[in-house]
Amino acid sequence: MSNQAIVVEDLVKTFKGDVKAVQGISFEVEDGEFFAFLGPNGAGKSTTIQVLTTLLNPTSGSVTVSGFDVGKDPISIRREIGVALQETGIDPSLTGRELLEMQARLFGFSKHDAKNRAQELLDLIHLAEDGDRKVGKYSGGMRRRLDLSLCLVHRPKILFLDEPTTGLDPYNRNAIWDEIRTLNREFGTTIFLTTQYLEEADQLADRISIINKGKIVASGSSQQLKKTVGMDVIDLSFQQNEDAEKAKEVLSSWTKDYRLTNGELTLYVDNGAYLLPDMVRKLDKEGIPPISLNLAPPTLDDVFLQVTGEHLEEKAVIKQEGVVSP
Amino acid sequence: MNQRSNFIIDTYLMTKRSTIAIFRNPFIFIPNIMISLFFLLVYQAGLSGISNIPAFEGASYLAFILPVSIVSGAIGGSGGAGQSLVRDLENGYFSRLLLTPTSRVAIVLGPIIAGMIQLFIQTVLILLVGLWMGLDIAAGFGGAVVVILLAAGFGLAFAGYSVGFALRTKDAQASQAGTFVFFPLVFLSTTFVPYELIEADWLKFVSKINPTTYVFDGMRSVLINGWEAQPLIYAAIVIIIICSITITFASLSAKRAVNRD
Repeated sequence: MSNQAIVVEDLVKTFKGDVKAVQGISFEVEDGEFFAFLGPNGAGKSTTIQVLTTLLNPTSGSVTVSGFDVGKDPISIRREIGVALQETGIDPSLTGRELLEMQARLFGFSKHDAKNRAQELLDLIHLAEDGDRKVGKYSGGMRRRLDLSLCLVHRPKILFLDEPTTGLDPYNRNAIWDEIRTLNREFGTTIFLTTQYLEEADQLADRISIINKGKIVASGSSQQLKKTVGMDVIDLSFQQNEDAEKAKEVLSSWTKDYRLTNGELTLYVDNGAYLLPDMVRKLDKEGIPPISLNLAPPTLDDVFLQVTGEHLEEKAVIKQEGVVSP
Repeated sequence: MNQRSNFIIDTYLMTKRSTIAIFRNPFIFIPNIMISLFFLLVYQAGLSGISNIPAFEGASYLAFILPVSIVSGAIGGSGGAGQSLVRDLENGYFSRLLLTPTSRVAIVLGPIIAGMIQLFIQTVLILLVGLWMGLDIAAGFGGAVVVILLAAGFGLAFAGYSVGFALRTKDAQASQAGTFVFFPLVFLSTTFVPYELIEADWLKFVSKINPTTYVFDGMRSVLINGWEAQPLIYAAIVIIIICSITITFASLSAKRAVNRD
């Protein structure tokens, strides 16, 4: 018998002005599972996490976390969960140690136990030497690690991480990945993670739900999701849009499915390695040779592209550069 | 019982945290106390001659102007409660606190009590400077206690206002702007001269409806005349009324800030 850490049925969250952030999603997360919510910015990931962590009430639908209803018993839920929101929640005028001790005391630890727990966590996140410095002086990566450790003070059964590595450099991102992996594998902590990075979901999660515009569009393990795409993915880019259009006509008989975006043609084919030379020859003959080509097994981006008609990573990149997408 | 002791611990922790934050950021309290002392020294130095006018009835100008210094310090100090909540909201610590089983009331009460502690220290300091400058408190030590209590009461009212404003706007600039009410409160009153000497009719009228006037009157009565019932009762009533208004405003705003819909 396996217990359900999180059960969500038909969750709808509407904000003032009829903004439908989450439009009827259902999913379950088992005890000890590593579950990821993958989707672009504005897909409804943060709203969902805020409902699950008792910061927002659902508009309709039912949400149970660790066996407690979010509407009826938020305090019991707060004792069972640890939450790292997208923005780190840290008072810069305190030291790392003070923040950890305070957090432990707020969860009912005695003064003595709070002190010990703070030291344990400082050691765990390799901040023991900086524990008595003001957090305002910490680097971005140190803050993230402290923020994560603050969620762990009361040894939560379920950990919610809202885009825990957004804006981090690869070194700090890997450090965070290692920590959450350890928590999941060695301590059996259930993890609910949201991310807009394919690699993050792919590397870490047992199971992934892809969310877009407030709806879950696909769910399964990374392998299962990739299988839905088909066999191989061939990406061809062309000088001009019309060339891509023409190439699509030329190659249509060989592909199961395709996507066309900005002079780039993505083909889903069985046995791509076998077909590719023939395809290139044919395109050459038609006078529309591709300027670049790539053959690869499907990625989660291909899954996203197939179910939504858009790329996920491009959106993520656009967001990082601070450019507003149309 | 358990619930109540948790609440006390939560409030203690939240207060301790805010107090540490205040005293680690000297830019929060030093300018405020400097302004209060500046008022005291400059007004005393520049205006004390006017206490020879009969309307002052022989009172020392130092005793007359001291409440202005104390009240301005109290307003500035308790305004810090709102500022500290805005900082929490902006740096995300407020959400972190909401995610703990901590009492919501304690989260808002902590900065208010810390503001009161700051105000208490400040008021005592100003009184000590006053004594050093030659202040003679007519009602003695008890009078000094009354001055501190009135400052605390008035400060609490202003803390309620600043917290309410902060939680409603959730914006540092806006809540900073909200503290500008300081100027009409302190200066549209019997700030420099007794009521009888105010020239303009509009200022006479405004000073009558300005709650600060009654706080000044209460403080001045114990500093200058000794024990008199009426000014103290008026001051107490005014403080109770404005406290109930601003604290209601603060609780309604707090409810809205932690609202989950």
